[in-house]
Amino acid sequence: MLDGIMTGLTTAVMPFNLMMVVLGCFAGTFIGMLPGLGPISAVALMIPITYGLDPASGIILMAGVYYGAVFGGSTSSILINAPGCASTVVTAFDGYPMAQKKQAGKALALAAYSSFTGGTIGALVLLFAAPALATVSLSFQSSDYFALMILGLTAVAAFSGKGQVIKAMIMTVFGLMISTVGTDMMSGAPRFTFGSIDLIDGISFLLLAMATFALTEVVMTVLKGQHREEEPEMDMSSLGSMKLSKDEVKEIAPTVARSSVFGFLVGVLPGAGATIASFLAYGLERNLASAKQKLQFGKGALRGLAAPESANNAASTGSFVPLLTLGIPGSGTTAIMLGALIAYGIQPGPRLFIDNPDVFWSVIISMYFGNLVLLILNLPLIPYISRLLAIPRPILIPLILFFSITGVYLVSFNTFDIHMMVFITVAAIFLKLLEFPMAPMLLGFILGGIMETNLSRAMTLYDGDLAFLWERPLTLTIMIISILVLLMPLLARMFQRPAKKPASDEEVSYEGEG
Amino acid sequence: MTLTKDHIGGLVFLCLSVAYGYYAGQIPMFPGDEFEPFHAQTLPNALAWAGGLLSIALLVTARRDRQHRLSLGGYDFQLVAYLLVLVVIFAIALEWVGFLLSTLIFLIGGYWLLGVRQIKTLLIASVPFAAGIWFVLSQLLEIYLAPGRLFTMIFGG
Repeated sequence: MLDGIMTGLTTAVMPFNLMMVVLGCFAGTFIGMLPGLGPISAVALMIPITYGLDPASGIILMAGVYYGAVFGGSTSSILINAPGCASTVVTAFDGYPMAQKKQAGKALALAAYSSFTGGTIGALVLLFAAPALATVSLSFQSSDYFALMILGLTAVAAFSGKGQVIKAMIMTVFGLMISTVGTDMMSGAPRFTFGSIDLIDGISFLLLAMATFALTEVVMTVLKGQHREEEPEMDMSSLGSMKLSKDEVKEIAPTVARSSVFGFLVGVLPGAGATIASFLAYGLERNLASAKQKLQFGKGALRGLAAPESANNAASTGSFVPLLTLGIPGSGTTAIMLGALIAYGIQPGPRLFIDNPDVFWSVIISMYFGNLVLLILNLPLIPYISRLLAIPRPILIPLILFFSITGVYLVSFNTFDIHMMVFITVAAIFLKLLEFPMAPMLLGFILGGIMETNLSRAMTLYDGDLAFLWERPLTLTIMIISILVLLMPLLARMFQRPAKKPASDEEVSYEGEG
Repeated sequence: MTLTKDHIGGLVFLCLSVAYGYYAGQIPMFPGDEFEPFHAQTLPNALAWAGGLLSIALLVTARRDRQHRLSLGGYDFQLVAYLLVLVVIFAIALEWVGFLLSTLIFLIGGYWLLGVRQIKTLLIASVPFAAGIWFVLSQLLEIYLAPGRLFTMIFGG
């Protein structure tokens, strides 16, 4: 492991890669601050840029953007009560009241310290957990992989929020359907190409990701008329002190430690990402607080801000565990990264840390640098970065649209791709209006090809018999977990029914899952 | 009966799954492939069934209250349609007038559609940006950007 850490360290400290971390954190913070655009959109916008870089630098840049976007989302939650993404919705509960009390500086600093601690604890646990899990998963066979893909897909559907499970499963199947468009890898037969040469290679991952997450999200802001809203007024002179007193540090230290570990564990679960972690950590902290402290929640409680901030960053780090070790993403954002890695010709999974140790270790090491950059560089620069929010939306929106479109065009130089993006965007807007989540579709699309290959291998080995699903204990275990995960929302509803709980804050859609 | 978002979604995906299943049956196969345990139609057929069953499940379990009805009020569909048409025009312009001019057309058109009317702002926010991006791509990164069919037709090339 020490060799690996050294490999990662030497790759991550290369000046160019350090620059990528800094650049990624800045770009992520800015994009994350824009209401409506979360980490998924931020990372999607970066894909075309990373295509020109080597895999390690590319994934380091994307990881930087990821943290930056989560942090940027917190900033807009605190300053203007407009969460940039779902995972920072809870940050606004106590962060914005603090800003109203002229303690915005303190709230931002607290968010940064909590994020830093959460991210650091997460990165440290990842340092030990990922190689251990990867070693175990080296014994996996094609049937186990197939079962893992099923687990990844069902987990995303199961964690998609109340009343959304069937819709998320439909979207997963839809994503799998899209992945079958193009030439069949095994027989060479064209599938669903309708005689078009442009569809022979299938639909590119970049195109689908950009159309559903960058283009659609921006167009949705126009559809809702958000571009006409007045630019947020932020009085930077009344930020207040960024210092925390000793007592305050003492008060939040246990919260940060608890929420970090808790957030990391939630993040590791495939499908559960930063959003769920932040909501659960907030709920946990409120339950642990005394009756007197409970009253403070929602009115600017330090613990109420520290808990979700530590948890969402730790969960962001945690979601890299299933990605790097098993090749199944823990969240929508890591799903995009998985797609980008596959596009590089790198297959994330158990063999990643043997075949591409530089990518594996440098991502882990650069996560720590990313958190450091956010704390040292971003925090003091927040007053300046948030000025970018003052750029009028009517100017900003066409620019983001332009970057999304040309990002795809400059890879293929085929204008058919732009027409295809428009078509997919129209379909995505329609589906969003019907409240269908987009992340499961992208995950289904990304995992579709690998799933089909492994299913084909397993079925050929067993001569068409489905016994491979239960003959190997490991495959059977993973399949049972998948079924349990799938049944979880149903069971939860059955157990909750007699209690008739009133609607709570946690009843949110995790569509913008970070 | 109230037609809610779930009903519409369920019906759309049911139709999609049926159509997908039909075209899955049209995928060409090599002679003897049908005796293989796994062939080009296997996964598509399974997905068509899965999609169909899930759509029916959605239709059966659909939420029927009024608050889940599809309400299209308050959305600016016209502006979105104009923006998407602008994107299509950008794609066509890329082929005919090249990257630089089509970028200018797209940006000025986008700003205009979103309500910017001052000529000075329109030009300042587009010309330096378009020229800068073109310079970075074609001169610094040495990416070949085709000049556009119109220019090739007029000036040759």
